[in-house]
Amino acid sequence: MVSKPASHGRPRRRRNPLGAFGALSHVALLVWAILIIGPILWTFLGSFKTNAEIFGDPITLPSSYHWDAWGRAFQKAHIGQYMLNTVFVVTCSTALTMLLGSMAAYVLARYSFPGNRAIYFLFVSGMTFPVFLALVPLFFVVRQLGLIDTHFGVILVYVAYSLPFTVFFLSAFFKTLPTSVAEAAMMDGCSHTRTFFQIMVPMAKPGLISITIFNILGQWNQYLLPIVLLSGNVEDKWLITQGVANISTNAGYEADWPGLFAALSMAIIPVMIVYIIFQRQIQSGLTSGAVK
Amino acid sequence: MSYSAGTPGDITRRQMLRRIGLTALVAGPAAGLLSACATGGSNAPAATTSAAPSSGGAVSPANPFGVAANAPLEVVIFKGGLGDSYATDVHEPMYKKAFPQATVKHVATQQIAQTLQPRFASGEVPDVIANSGTDLMDTGALQQEGQLLDLTELWDAPSMDDPAKKVRDTVAPGTIESGLIDNKPFLMNYVFSAYGLWYDSALFEKNGWTAPKTFDEFKALCEKIKAAGITPFAYAGKNASYYAYWMILISAAKIEGNQVLIDIDNLEDGVWKRDSVKQAAAAWAEIGKYMDKSFEGLIHTEVQTRQNQGKVALYPSGSWLENEQKSQTPEGFKYALTPTPSVTAADKMPFEAIRAAAGEAYIVPAKAKNPKGGLEYLRIMLSKEGARGFTEKSGNITVVTGAADGLDLSPGNASLSAAQTAAGQNIVTFSAFENWYKELETELRKQTNALMFGRISADEFCDKMQKAADKSKSDSSITKQKRTV
Amino acid sequence: MRHGRYRFIFGFLAAPVILYVVFVISPYLQAFYISLTNWKGISANPQFIGLENYTRLLDDEVFWAAVRHHGVLLLVMPLVTIVIALFFSFLLNLSGGQRGGKMSGIWGSKVYRVIFFLPQVLAVAIVGVLFQAIYRPDESGVLNGLLDLVGIDPVGWLIAPDLALWSIIGVMVWQAVGFYVVLFSAGMSSIPKDVFEAAELDGANRATLFFKITLPLLWDTMQVAWVYLGIAAFDAFALVQVLSVDRGGPDNSTTVLPLEIWRTAFNFSKFGYASAMGVVLFFMTITFAALTLRVTRRERIEF
Repeated sequence: MVSKPASHGRPRRRRNPLGAFGALSHVALLVWAILIIGPILWTFLGSFKTNAEIFGDPITLPSSYHWDAWGRAFQKAHIGQYMLNTVFVVTCSTALTMLLGSMAAYVLARYSFPGNRAIYFLFVSGMTFPVFLALVPLFFVVRQLGLIDTHFGVILVYVAYSLPFTVFFLSAFFKTLPTSVAEAAMMDGCSHTRTFFQIMVPMAKPGLISITIFNILGQWNQYLLPIVLLSGNVEDKWLITQGVANISTNAGYEADWPGLFAALSMAIIPVMIVYIIFQRQIQSGLTSGAVK
Repeated sequence: MSYSAGTPGDITRRQMLRRIGLTALVAGPAAGLLSACATGGSNAPAATTSAAPSSGGAVSPANPFGVAANAPLEVVIFKGGLGDSYATDVHEPMYKKAFPQATVKHVATQQIAQTLQPRFASGEVPDVIANSGTDLMDTGALQQEGQLLDLTELWDAPSMDDPAKKVRDTVAPGTIESGLIDNKPFLMNYVFSAYGLWYDSALFEKNGWTAPKTFDEFKALCEKIKAAGITPFAYAGKNASYYAYWMILISAAKIEGNQVLIDIDNLEDGVWKRDSVKQAAAAWAEIGKYMDKSFEGLIHTEVQTRQNQGKVALYPSGSWLENEQKSQTPEGFKYALTPTPSVTAADKMPFEAIRAAAGEAYIVPAKAKNPKGGLEYLRIMLSKEGARGFTEKSGNITVVTGAADGLDLSPGNASLSAAQTAAGQNIVTFSAFENWYKELETELRKQTNALMFGRISADEFCDKMQKAADKSKSDSSITKQKRTV
Repeated sequence: MRHGRYRFIFGFLAAPVILYVVFVISPYLQAFYISLTNWKGISANPQFIGLENYTRLLDDEVFWAAVRHHGVLLLVMPLVTIVIALFFSFLLNLSGGQRGGKMSGIWGSKVYRVIFFLPQVLAVAIVGVLFQAIYRPDESGVLNGLLDLVGIDPVGWLIAPDLALWSIIGVMVWQAVGFYVVLFSAGMSSIPKDVFEAAELDGANRATLFFKITLPLLWDTMQVAWVYLGIAAFDAFALVQVLSVDRGGPDNSTTVLPLEIWRTAFNFSKFGYASAMGVVLFFMTITFAALTLRVTRRERIEF
């Protein structure tokens, strides 16, 4: 285990990973890991059980493995469709959030002009607005623009509601970047716009990545806004959280719990795969900026 | 107006029962019981619409509302225990047949209010709404805002089955009255339901148990059932505590008569503290003690599934239960209905009395784009073909007289009809406050759980409910309504 | 040059500001006005009733129950989450000793980190439905099934009024910890290794390392964490709606303001009153954020 000989000529006194502390640490970590994996695994197994098994002893495996419930969930619950819708909406809205958010943050962080602080605080105060307060008036605004029941409307609203945090975070980030490079570029006759896109954006990459991931997660998990904004006869446009909530109520009415678990698994598994593939980027991106 | 006064209201209700309960429901073995009326029950139901496909909105006998033949129609259906195939497979095709140029848009949802509230606010309303479920729209508020279409025109229109008859004469008496707001018919209550305790008669037979007639018998039976390792009584506290408060209200009405329920609806001072309510609450709280605490955290289908598995004996519910559980009910399980037991020997209503009412309101928004089409859609629903199709698809009977003739009866429906026969004119009235005063209703759900799971006494229950009723009464933002029958 | 500069500023700000004003600011302003009316959510002309909604809030039991719950959530949820997350990130990053001249975590720390973070990528609605089964109040619930194995009677996780809110806090912590483990880990890895080496030479043990060095150096990160978690504590809508008895029960023991706002607006059709609650929630959130940032402001430790 000791990979580097003690260069100070002192024997290493501690850090025996097999010590009591190490063992306890492993127990604690293991318990938490089980707490995380357990419920998800249990849901997955639940999709193979029958109603009677689900309401029986919870700590048993299904008696047989068949995919009926998955078929039902896929056919009736349109999980695949909702997933695609969500991917589409979140991709567009995150991209737009990043573009507009970084533009605003950059200007607010690095240019002084009358009204700068006012606009900045207008954005930042938005972080504390409880979305519930705005729900009903928001519906009317979106409707008046003819965007209700459209993905485009959802995208614009997602962007607008992601801006406060994005602007807050990125303007702090832009402030930390050295001014010399940008100044040099301007000296060379670079326009403000070009300086931003060609110099500042690459420099701000860690911050941009982290806030992008933050926004993807936040928008992916949105539940309230899609319910209100896609409330018409547009089941085909629903997003994944709406779909899952709907299946959950459906199970309440139709007593199809295996179907519910199958649908849940279907909603979880793709996200998990994407997460496991990109976990390194997600974690480092998410935090590299946040600690700055 | 007590149940026994023989008022017109009671008579209509009795007639309603006769007609729906007996004519519509029963066939086969039970047919002998229905010596009485079979009003217009024998007309061929197939007669539907030879409706002139288009008349550009002109009024004709076949198109009494003057529906524009090409106007699109949007129908929003609550997709709960009744499903929505009755709309997609029966009523909507019938409408399409009558108006081939019209497109029919079908929306199924479990969240009626969430889906429709914003649309009402914006004026983008559908043409027909099945307003039901946990999240239904507050029809009192809608009516107040002028958002509901007065259905008088519908009730006065000629019936599809017999143009000589008005629609109002083809439904069970009492149906229209149950849909009045401010004395005008705004709701079309379509489904006929009866409420009581449901059990598996096969299980009871096997164990030699009989349905209890009094609360003393009820408790004795609970002991026996408990000894057999089965939960004697249960309801789902998580989302269906109203199933339990129905029982309390029924018992109160049995003790004092229907007047107590009418007074509750009218927010009469001190009504929740009356002896009848207190006694009813105390009696049910006793039964609550036989219930496992865990039931407070379960939803209705979970408890119902447990009953199907033979783990719960008596379950309070309405007559949709059997159909709701169709896919879960094991072979040999026979649903049966028994009225709520009598609380005192001096009860005004006999043991046999049951709560029965037309429910599941369908509404047409006043600002709908095609309100005529909406009315016509309701008229289609009220035709025999429409009602019969509904019963076939949903397993529930409708208010349309004689529409279910000849359909096979399930054990639950057979037991229901027997209970109705036994009840005769002793019908516990519906509760309008459930729709009129949603806040009061919410509080009642809360306090019912607290009472039934032993956290508060019957006295505290009554105090808290009275306080909530007083609060609703003094809240200027809530519009008060009155009922006399 | 100057002209170009303003054109540039305007060009960059116009789209975000317009979008933000249209979809965020204007609905909120309308909501403030609605809170002074008795609007039922339907008619076009709400009636102005002044502060009546606000005075009514004063003796609304349910409202105060919800406010109290936010107080509990605000104190407990961030604290528990941060403590657990700090503990795990310490184990994962620093407790393994030095390796290749760097402080390293315990064996398997990468795998743990991946697992811990997992709940963060699940939608709250999904987590809620998942925990329905975990917390089921009889033996068929996962937790109670486990207790059953060791002979303990089922616990009413969500049905005991004294326990229900804590169970819901448990889910929030369950979901949040991973994110903060990763966040703190990043903070810890940015602490220069010579700081630890020096401390170690001075004979510092693990506890000293943690309390005297790691913690103070992570102060800024923890402040950020507290603000994030605090804002989350003012929500909790989806979890309470899905998990609790009768939405906010039993006996109001789990209700939160967003849920009451939702119910008052969409079930009771009292949008004016609901908006008044929303305005209160707004001021509570904003006060919290301001206070946290003020109170926890501290000398920055530079390295």
